Amino acid sequence: MHTWLALGLALVLAIVVGACAGHDWATPADLIRAALGDQALRSRLLVDWRIPRVLAAALVGGLLGLGGVVFQGVFRNPLAEPYLLGSAGGAALGATVALLVPLAMPQSILLPLLAFAGAWGATVLVIGISRVSGAVDAAGMLLAGVAVAAILGALRSFLMLALSDETVSLQVVLSWVLGGVQTPTWPVLGLLTLISAGCLGLTLLLAGRLDILGLGETMAVAFGLNVTRFIAIAVLAGSVVVAAAVAFGGLVAFVGLAAPHIARWMVGPLHRPLLPASALVGAIIVTLADAIARAALPPAEIPLGLVTAVAGGPFFIMLLARRLRT
Amino acid sequence: MTGLTADSLVLKRGGATLLDDLSLSLGATGSVAVIGPNGAGKSTLLKVLAGIEKPLSGIVRVGDRDLVSLSSATRARTVGFLPQYFDPHWDLTVQELVRLGAERSDHLTVDAVDKVIDTFELAGLGRRRWSTLSGGERARVLLATVLVVDPPVLLADEPAASLDIRHRLDVIETLTRRGVDRLSVVVVHDLDLAFRFFERVIVMDHGRIVADAPADALFDDPRLDAVFKVRFERLKTPDGPLLRATKDRP
Repeated sequence: MHTWLALGLALVLAIVVGACAGHDWATPADLIRAALGDQALRSRLLVDWRIPRVLAAALVGGLLGLGGVVFQGVFRNPLAEPYLLGSAGGAALGATVALLVPLAMPQSILLPLLAFAGAWGATVLVIGISRVSGAVDAAGMLLAGVAVAAILGALRSFLMLALSDETVSLQVVLSWVLGGVQTPTWPVLGLLTLISAGCLGLTLLLAGRLDILGLGETMAVAFGLNVTRFIAIAVLAGSVVVAAAVAFGGLVAFVGLAAPHIARWMVGPLHRPLLPASALVGAIIVTLADAIARAALPPAEIPLGLVTAVAGGPFFIMLLARRLRT
Repeated sequence: MTGLTADSLVLKRGGATLLDDLSLSLGATGSVAVIGPNGAGKSTLLKVLAGIEKPLSGIVRVGDRDLVSLSSATRARTVGFLPQYFDPHWDLTVQELVRLGAERSDHLTVDAVDKVIDTFELAGLGRRRWSTLSGGERARVLLATVLVVDPPVLLADEPAASLDIRHRLDVIETLTRRGVDRLSVVVVHDLDLAFRFFERVIVMDHGRIVADAPADALFDDPRLDAVFKVRFERLKTPDGPLLRATKDRP
């Protein structure tokens, strides 16, 4: 109970800090005034731009936390992360097409749509390949994932070389790949909230079977789990979650790997408490990282993925070392 | 009643024949030891009987129903399986492990979990994590996890092989005691334990059943020596039979 209270409070605190942070810092009093409907320009900017962005960052982090738990649970590997099965390469390819190929749709819709399709499509492709080749176990899937990621990466490089006629486009693509939460409108934020709630429900449906799978494949079969089918279902579900995160936040490094570990230290390895806890931890990390990304080097914005990797990496190593010593 | 029969099981892998047209009939009760040299196919047989591995051909029946026709949930409740090695990936607590075992049954009460925790003297260990348990404690936890749903058929693959003698006796006694009113089939490496505790002994070699008889009838059978490629000196002590092996001179 204490753990949940602490996680909840930490998230609220992170959101407040995130909403205050920026190249123009606000105070909590400014936030309250803005939330109460103050019509001054500064308040309107907070309500229309900064607060939705901060909440979107929290939701993207929550999705990454969920995705990480599913992938680590399926592959029973502490190094497993949500981008493992080609979803990063697929999302990057989709985003590259959206950013560089002139298509008859506004980019604000096209970019998340193609990023989502790329991320999920790549994972479906990986599962398809491992099925066709008969390597349906975790190791076979990982190898197929590596191969698909290499192919998609090469395709994306080719597109970038062939389609960019000015350096600006390349920079846009590169900065998307490094991760960054788009500022959503309030209706889009509502959609993202619905998607996130759906993803939480979807992954919670897998929780009991992820626990059983963690007993090892032999025991899982003896306990009545159809292991091959469940792994495919869980990976497909997990990649929907990750694809949603990628569509709204780009490729944010490291959070999907670290959040489940930190959450496991707090609530233990059973998946029913682990999933929401990891979502909270992911939300806290991305909210704070996004605040740093916006506030550290004004007026420029550092790509979010760089912040999570640079700040999160040492933090994670420190936690790991402390954990190993005890 | 829930007897277990196998009909013409064949399983091949990578050119090797693991089960070679093996048939077997086990009643609804009894304690059965499966013995044989390494690579005889004992573990494979157990996994096929438990529905964990699929045979190339042949049928396993639980009672009068084909094992593959059972829903996996029913199979998991009916046939308990104790693996040779068990190393859960996540460092769960004893209580969490036993609860996961209990989730195989949808109508199990909290009482059943408490009862099994009591039976295997795990009350003090409930909150301990798997990684902190000793070998003997782990064996008890594994037994509790598998037996919490009280399956009518139990298949155990040398669950006591790596334990010290005291804990090995505990485990073997638990398994054979189940044979009084249920079916308990155990792969045993220690031949003395097999002949001393089990009612029936099945000898396997090269994926086939070489001998299958009540323990005391099989004890003097010369096929034992042939299968294990040793000469057995047979000693009858007040505490039970003993086998002392010497290598044949080539």
